[in-house]
Amino acid sequence: MADSKDAGEEALRRLIATFQPSFLAPNPALSETSRAASRHLFSALRPFCPKSPLDQLLIDGFDAEQIWQQIDLQSQPLLSSLRRQVKHFAKNPEEISKLKVVPLGKKVEKEQREDWVEESDGFDEELEDDEEGEGKGGEEGMDIEDEDEEQGRESDNEEESEGEDEEEKGEDGEAGDGGIEDKFLKIDELAKYLEKEEENFEKAEEDTRGKKGADDEENTEDDDDDDEEEEEEEEESDEVSVLLGSIVSDFVLLCLHRMLSLDLAAKMQQGTWKMQGMDLFYGVFLTLEHCGWDEQFILLLRYEDFFGDKGKYSKKMKAQLHQESEGSDEEDDDMKFKKQNKGTASTHQKQLEKIHSKIEEMEKANLEPKTWTMQGEVTAAKRPKNSALEVDLDFEHNVRPAPVITEEVTASIEDMIKKRITEGNFNDVQKAPKLPSKVPREVKELDDNKSKKGLAEIYEQEYVEKEDPTSAPLSFRDEQKQQASVLFKKLGLKLDALAHFSFAPKPVIEDMSVQINVPALAMEEIAPVAVSDAAMLAPEEVFEGKGDIKEETELTKEERKRRRANKKRRFKAAAVKRMGKKVQEGALPNQMNG
Amino acid sequence: MVLSSMEVEAAPSKAKPLPPKPMFEPLKPYEMSDGQFRKVSVPQHRYNPLKKALLDIYTPIYEQMKIDIRMNLKARKVELKMRPDTPDISNLQKCADFVHAFMIGFDVLDAIALLHLDELYVESFEIKDVKTLRGDHLSRAIGRLSGKGGKTKFAIENATKTRIVIADTKIHILESFANIKIVRDSLCRLIMGSPVGKVYSKLRAVTARLA
Repeated sequence: MADSKDAGEEALRRLIATFQPSFLAPNPALSETSRAASRHLFSALRPFCPKSPLDQLLIDGFDAEQIWQQIDLQSQPLLSSLRRQVKHFAKNPEEISKLKVVPLGKKVEKEQREDWVEESDGFDEELEDDEEGEGKGGEEGMDIEDEDEEQGRESDNEEESEGEDEEEKGEDGEAGDGGIEDKFLKIDELAKYLEKEEENFEKAEEDTRGKKGADDEENTEDDDDDDEEEEEEEEESDEVSVLLGSIVSDFVLLCLHRMLSLDLAAKMQQGTWKMQGMDLFYGVFLTLEHCGWDEQFILLLRYEDFFGDKGKYSKKMKAQLHQESEGSDEEDDDMKFKKQNKGTASTHQKQLEKIHSKIEEMEKANLEPKTWTMQGEVTAAKRPKNSALEVDLDFEHNVRPAPVITEEVTASIEDMIKKRITEGNFNDVQKAPKLPSKVPREVKELDDNKSKKGLAEIYEQEYVEKEDPTSAPLSFRDEQKQQASVLFKKLGLKLDALAHFSFAPKPVIEDMSVQINVPALAMEEIAPVAVSDAAMLAPEEVFEGKGDIKEETELTKEERKRRRANKKRRFKAAAVKRMGKKVQEGALPNQMNG
Repeated sequence: MVLSSMEVEAAPSKAKPLPPKPMFEPLKPYEMSDGQFRKVSVPQHRYNPLKKALLDIYTPIYEQMKIDIRMNLKARKVELKMRPDTPDISNLQKCADFVHAFMIGFDVLDAIALLHLDELYVESFEIKDVKTLRGDHLSRAIGRLSGKGGKTKFAIENATKTRIVIADTKIHILESFANIKIVRDSLCRLIMGSPVGKVYSKLRAVTARLA
């Protein structure tokens, strides 16, 4: 234990001694030391929080966030109880005097503290007050505690030198609630801690003071890591100091967290860990300090200087504080359980309180005017500028949205066009055929040409037509009609012949012509088949030969000879004739010439 | 005294019987038109056509109408005289009209209709009767009347069964009573300047109705 304690202290000292801006860069060695230091502090504080589920801070293989959670688990209830006690003491200042005071250790502390004041810059009166408050009654091993406290405080101071503004805030807190409220400070946490500590205090007042003292004795050898927690323990009676301590504790916790999570800087670079408000402030503080700003001046800077409205927030936070101080601490089940055991407020009651608070909230919201999104028709004048951009508006679109033209869409359209062109299927507008309602009147057209008939003849014709209507000559139209009808009949005949079923016989054609060599079948057959000249005649009709007709191969030798002789004779006769003709012709021109 | 009955002298009333009413036979045309004849002057531009068509003119007049016809070359006139066997007194007038029509400018075949039909007549008027036009306007009016190649004129002729002769500023129409209005209307419209299409449409409507 002592070794580990020593190691822890060593780690703490090393931490304190490190160059402060080095915390900003990821450093594995530094993180290791900080982890060891935090473990040391955790185990030192363990006796002061009986409800804590963890006996030791688990470091190996744990994430910075997880370590922080463990610390948080331990410190949260303590802080809330301390806050509650501070409040209590604020209301009943006479009780402060009832607290026990440890004179010896206190003086020593004071001396040491003064040293520290000289050492550390801008050390606060707050701490002095805290340490005064630390003189709690019932803590016997105060010296050792004080030592521890010293050391712890040393570390704390060193730690706190980074965050002196907290003390400032604590000072401000002294002045009143209005000064505390700051976004950097979490008032709800404050309230919770106060509650917790109130309970603790009540408990302690009854029987556990000595116990605590015993616990303190046991653990005095351990360094106090969180001076604040010790302070909380010790300063339970001192509401102010408790309050301050809680504030301080808050910040120190956060700084601790920061130390642990310096390796988070690496993560931040990776983008896996996001910087939070406190870290931002811490960074800002460091940089400002580095720039040479006066620390006191820096500490005077507050959240309001950086962001937001001052008055509103403070009022709001005041209200919250009041509300939540009454509420229970949900997060700490142990506390709840213990509260149940104590009987201060049953679970059911707490639930009811929660519900009531919720109801009040909701009623308040109902009374207030609604946001512009919940109001019906809102014109641009009634809502803040550019607020419509932040809201996800839903419109009913009557018009189909314009099609997004992608390559696929164009390709599909082009394919369709090509297909249509190849098919020849166009959507041309076709004129609807007008139904013939009545017989179209015969339009008599004006004849531009000179009439071939004389006037007398025209009248003559007219007279004749009048006398004898039948003898009316065919008009031009009628002639055309007749020609058309003749043509159609011819065509119709051919078409009917193709379709046998409905065949009509040949029409009587006026002009008679004798067809030679038409086979008898063609005349009678219903369907005239295509007839060629060859089929027209019978073989005998084609050739009339006399005698036995033999082919050349069938001939005997003698017959062949005979044929040849006949042929020669005929040829000779023809030749002679030709010669005779030629002679005659030749004679004539001779005669002419001659 | 006695009133004596007067002895009416019964004069032997040998009233002279009045001569019987003369029964005259109707006068023959020849006798009616005693010494009547018509003389139709021949304008110079119709001299040659007359020469060519003389026989065509002579034959129907002499043969069918039974009117004497002769050409007075010195006076440049066609003279028509009745013959004793002329059937009708109006023949002379008809023939005279026929010849006159020819002299105006109508064709023989057209003018012969005058001989055959009673209801045909010739009407003449001038452009200036319709509208006073001068110079180019006048020429244009004449052009409008005849149309390109005479087609407007022919269109009117064919539609209304008439014959039209446009001689410079004079217009002669050989028509029947039925078609007076149409022809005259169309021609007047054309003179006054309406477009040909309009005239055509009117003609079409009218002829459809008539036919």
